[in-house]
Amino acid sequence: MNVAAHSELRPARTRTAQWATPLAAACALLLLAATAEIVLDGAVGHSPLIPKSPPIAGWLSGIGERLGFRVFLIAVLAFAAGYAGLCALGRSVSKRWAIALIAVLHAIVFLGPILLSTDVFSYIAYARMGVEHGINPYQHGPIAIAHDPVYHYVGPDWKLVATAYGPLYTLLSYPFAPLGVEGALWGMKVLAMLASAGTLALVWRCARLRQLNPVTAILLVGANPLYVIYCLGGAHNDLVMLLLMMAAVSLTFAGRDAPAAAVVVVGALVKATVAALLPFMILARRSRRQIIGALGALGVGLLVGLLAFGVDGINIVAALNRDAAFVSTDSFPNEIAHLFGKPGVFPIDHDLLKGALVVIVVHLMWRTWRGYDWVAASGWALLAISVTSTWLLAWYILWPLPLAAIARDRRLLVATLAVQGLFVAHQLTPLFAPVS
Amino acid sequence: MSADATPLKRGWQRLPPGLRPRDADQPGRGRLWRVETIVLLLAGLLLLIATVNDVVLSAHTNHRLVADLRTWRDYTGHNYKNVSAEQDIRKYTTTDVVCGNTTPGPPKERIQLCLQVTGPTVDGLRTARGGWYLPPKAENLHRYRYGCFGPPKRDGKCTR
Repeated sequence: MNVAAHSELRPARTRTAQWATPLAAACALLLLAATAEIVLDGAVGHSPLIPKSPPIAGWLSGIGERLGFRVFLIAVLAFAAGYAGLCALGRSVSKRWAIALIAVLHAIVFLGPILLSTDVFSYIAYARMGVEHGINPYQHGPIAIAHDPVYHYVGPDWKLVATAYGPLYTLLSYPFAPLGVEGALWGMKVLAMLASAGTLALVWRCARLRQLNPVTAILLVGANPLYVIYCLGGAHNDLVMLLLMMAAVSLTFAGRDAPAAAVVVVGALVKATVAALLPFMILARRSRRQIIGALGALGVGLLVGLLAFGVDGINIVAALNRDAAFVSTDSFPNEIAHLFGKPGVFPIDHDLLKGALVVIVVHLMWRTWRGYDWVAASGWALLAISVTSTWLLAWYILWPLPLAAIARDRRLLVATLAVQGLFVAHQLTPLFAPVS
Repeated sequence: MSADATPLKRGWQRLPPGLRPRDADQPGRGRLWRVETIVLLLAGLLLLIATVNDVVLSAHTNHRLVADLRTWRDYTGHNYKNVSAEQDIRKYTTTDVVCGNTTPGPPKERIQLCLQVTGPTVDGLRTARGGWYLPPKAENLHRYRYGCFGPPKRDGKCTR
């Protein structure tokens, strides 16, 4: 480029930089307004988007109006637009402002009601089954404690279903059981909040180690609409899994292979999905310490699970097989079945999807063996699991996001955000065709 | 690679060059990267088309549902809120059954009138081809139906 052209471009760049900060501020305000709208309207209750719950957000209930699909979807779209703008302008956002924005978003959601999912009541029910009633949550569903106050809040689909979560998560939830339903609910919210803060701190650290912009990285994760509204709003235990996943990545970056592999196994004993990281980590590092660390953690974890819950507590394969048979309307296989004129997913489709997943994972393992970024490979595997799953929930497509934010292959980030965008787009029907 | 991997590393050197592990991906965007990207784009396109198709299908279903409810209210002259619509989940036809109370009261707590609604939506309404009655607190099952009229009577949809 010649000097004249360079000097012409400079004022344009300066003008863009001048606009970047106010634009980023406007995007941040959009995020805050959308979150506040959902939380304040949700606090009113009597909405299909807000599960039955003890009145933890009753003091907010006089401000908003009953949350309907239309307002909720518009708020989510506004949030997504603000998020896209903020991530694009990530370099113009200071570290302090990014952290403050994410902290305020977390605080708003923390003070509000449980959003969109009854899962947190299942966590509490399983904990109360074990602690208060002496019933093994791996053998019985919450219906076994139909007289317990939490039973009233458990989702109708899950009343007969034994827990599918790992034994370490169940043990982690046990201290909340004696606090009563409301106390346990606040406990779960605090746990989700702390897990999220830890995850974001580790995303920051890993991004810096990889010489990526850490501000953009934490905005990508901590200001993501599905992360804030769906995952944090529902106090989902996926946040604990993400924390352990990022701890393992961070430890690997620090060259601590044995603890890293052990943490992946601990994560898998919280929620099995995170085990997808282990083969890629091992293929990339090729260290005996990883095998020793993983086997040691697996031995201790299984022993603890066995002593606490018996064989059912460590039979994770059975729980995964059971959940894999479920079909949700939002799952991509279900949408593809509709596209080809089928009413839904058939058993043969489950086998085809499993076959496709195996092919993808084998290809990724081969690529990792030949030097491909193992963090990206792990992210692709998690994305493939969520896309091929017939039981897809919003928080499942968050699994690859922290890895995508720090991966060397930026295609993973584009693909993850695109899949999230399609998930949100699939929710939009009530905007075009409301049912009165 | 970590320090303890050295003996392992020596073992890998015995493998043919094409099978040996590498510590870093090959620089640049090779043929494999392009093939992967094309596969990803095609997969993304399939998901996009499937999502748009599903949203359109759901929107049509919602429009039909709204027309069904309006048709029931128009036919009966009752502007009740709690009217339920059932789709044909056996043969996936667009013939729906819409049920609601015949007198004011909580859902399904009074004698219910069910209408078989079919055909295209014209001016926000569909055609009620016939129907039947259900006693209070009864589900829309063959054994509870009575007083069939229109095509359902001919098709033997009622027990009484």
